[in-house]
Amino acid sequence: MRNSFVELHARERAEALLDDNARELVGPLDNMISPHLEPQGIVPESDDGVVLMRGTINGKNALVISIEGKFQGGGIGEVSGAKIVAALEKALEDNKAGKTIYPVIVLDTGGVRLQEANYGLLSISEIHNAVIALKKYVPVIGLVPGRVGSFGGMSITASILSYLIATKKARIALNGPEVIEQEAGVREFDSSDKDLIWNTLGTKQRLATGLVDEVVDDTVEDIKKSVSDAIDAKKDAHRTEHVDFYLSLLDQLDPNKKLDIEGYRKLYPEVKAEKHVIADAVEGDKPGTKSRGRLWFEKLTGIKNAKSSVSTVLHAEKDGKEYVAIVPDADNKFPRVRNGEVGLEEGFAVASIVNKVVADDVDKDVKRPIIMVVDVPSQAYGYQEELIGIHVALGSSAAAYAKARQAGHPVIAFIPGDAVSGGFLAHGLQSNRLIALDDTSITIQAMSKASAARITQRTIAELEEATKHVPAMAYDIDNYEKLGALYKLVKGIGSYEATDENVAKISSIIDEAIQSTVGKPADLHFRYETPIAVESGRKATNAVRKAVFEQWNA
Amino acid sequence: MEKLRYKFETKNPIKNPVHIGVVASGDLEVIFRPTDSDETVVSIVTGSDGFKEVWQNVLDRFFARYPIQANIEINDFGSTPGVVNLRLTQAMEALKDEK
Repeated sequence: MRNSFVELHARERAEALLDDNARELVGPLDNMISPHLEPQGIVPESDDGVVLMRGTINGKNALVISIEGKFQGGGIGEVSGAKIVAALEKALEDNKAGKTIYPVIVLDTGGVRLQEANYGLLSISEIHNAVIALKKYVPVIGLVPGRVGSFGGMSITASILSYLIATKKARIALNGPEVIEQEAGVREFDSSDKDLIWNTLGTKQRLATGLVDEVVDDTVEDIKKSVSDAIDAKKDAHRTEHVDFYLSLLDQLDPNKKLDIEGYRKLYPEVKAEKHVIADAVEGDKPGTKSRGRLWFEKLTGIKNAKSSVSTVLHAEKDGKEYVAIVPDADNKFPRVRNGEVGLEEGFAVASIVNKVVADDVDKDVKRPIIMVVDVPSQAYGYQEELIGIHVALGSSAAAYAKARQAGHPVIAFIPGDAVSGGFLAHGLQSNRLIALDDTSITIQAMSKASAARITQRTIAELEEATKHVPAMAYDIDNYEKLGALYKLVKGIGSYEATDENVAKISSIIDEAIQSTVGKPADLHFRYETPIAVESGRKATNAVRKAVFEQWNA
Repeated sequence: MEKLRYKFETKNPIKNPVHIGVVASGDLEVIFRPTDSDETVVSIVTGSDGFKEVWQNVLDRFFARYPIQANIEINDFGSTPGVVNLRLTQAMEALKDEK
């Protein structure tokens, strides 16, 4: 096709968007290569698949971040993630200082790079944090040209961006059809049915249901004009702020009928947003579905058999701290969240709760700490979830936590259970401090082994072999500790050992963690600065950050 | 994945570094850097194992035509000899443009 934007590589795309003054930061000659790929037998790329360019767009200062979809499916690893985060943070610094610069992110990405899964998840949460902070000053424009589209954790990023432009060659979804088929079966989503996939996740459907803002023709001129217009008009869809709308929509769903494309197109425009307030959990007569998260929530708040109007989301204030947990409910009307997964209702409900805490405390000098009790085996894998846009649900909750932290609320994650993938991005990774129990039952990762093996075209045995040598791929909390992201790994307390003594101990560690945030920046830098992170865990991250900072003003 | 290394006796030092290509399926990136050493070293990381001789032939032909002296890095994701030759030649073009 003549003058196609989609056919261009990431570097050419960045150049095409900018006027004739593009300057690349930390480019292929700077030798910032992923240290994690070669040990797994994978050929690296000299820019790790991310191009950072400064220049102007129709005369206005801009930073273009362009992800190369053709290198490892545009997956975000440690180096590529750190490049994006460092550039966004410099843009934030400039905007704060009155030097306006407009960030544009070209998303062509499968999300977390599964070969560096834990780094990918950390990086993506850090991208979310930086985007939320930037949006106070400038719109952060997203462009999803295709062919990959925007998937996984980076679909959550797409939902958080101010304004989303796409071509009809792109798709946007949290879970790819292959992963849903792997996790939930072919009857849930048939990954060989290309029409179904495009009609569900394609940008035409997404435009009709508020998940993208503009679909443009695939030419360099059209795309540059749309981006430039969006910057000029400071367009913002506020996509992660429609919490009441989506909670109202979910109230109207008939759980016994599978929602289809036509049905959703009819339902969507009819929904009226009604105010939802999710009340504090109260004591119930019978125990809820057993889980590590529920156990610790009940013990930490002193509420027996805690129940709430949203059965999978519990929250309560205790001793001036707001506790929030996502828990399983074996009888939930949404079958895909019955094991404690984070689904549509969970994401929006958590967002509603956290937004209310922030609103209630807006005039207070000391903001209430928010404690997330994290036991999330994953996000929900379902067709209906993708059709409605589960990535927006998870984005709403991630955005709410990030805003709370940036407003001065200490946000602490306590991990007595699993912390996996999109579930962890939505409920956990926006915290200033991560506290975990040292228990072998805890899984912490981006994807189940079965799905990760399928997507990276390896056997489970090969995958397990790879995890032995590369902590970035680990599934257990002890290896996760080697990344340096944890504030504390608590030894000697098992996930189900919530005795009075242990609960008191965890409470005091949470209080110490809260204290440690006082007078400190409300960002996520803590994770790069722990001794383990500096020594080994985030060595590449810190090197990339230094290089970007040095080259920012040439 | 296989790592390969080749040395060539060449005599025309390049002045500026240059980068071409993307590590996409069936494609590669090449980086030329100026060197102080009097030999040219080509370091290759390739996703396709067992093509040592084919690489030697492609590189022999390239240096016969362009005896540049440089440090050369190649990251290859299964490209054919024709594509390798094309990217190397594009890198030469890019060098010329900068002069």
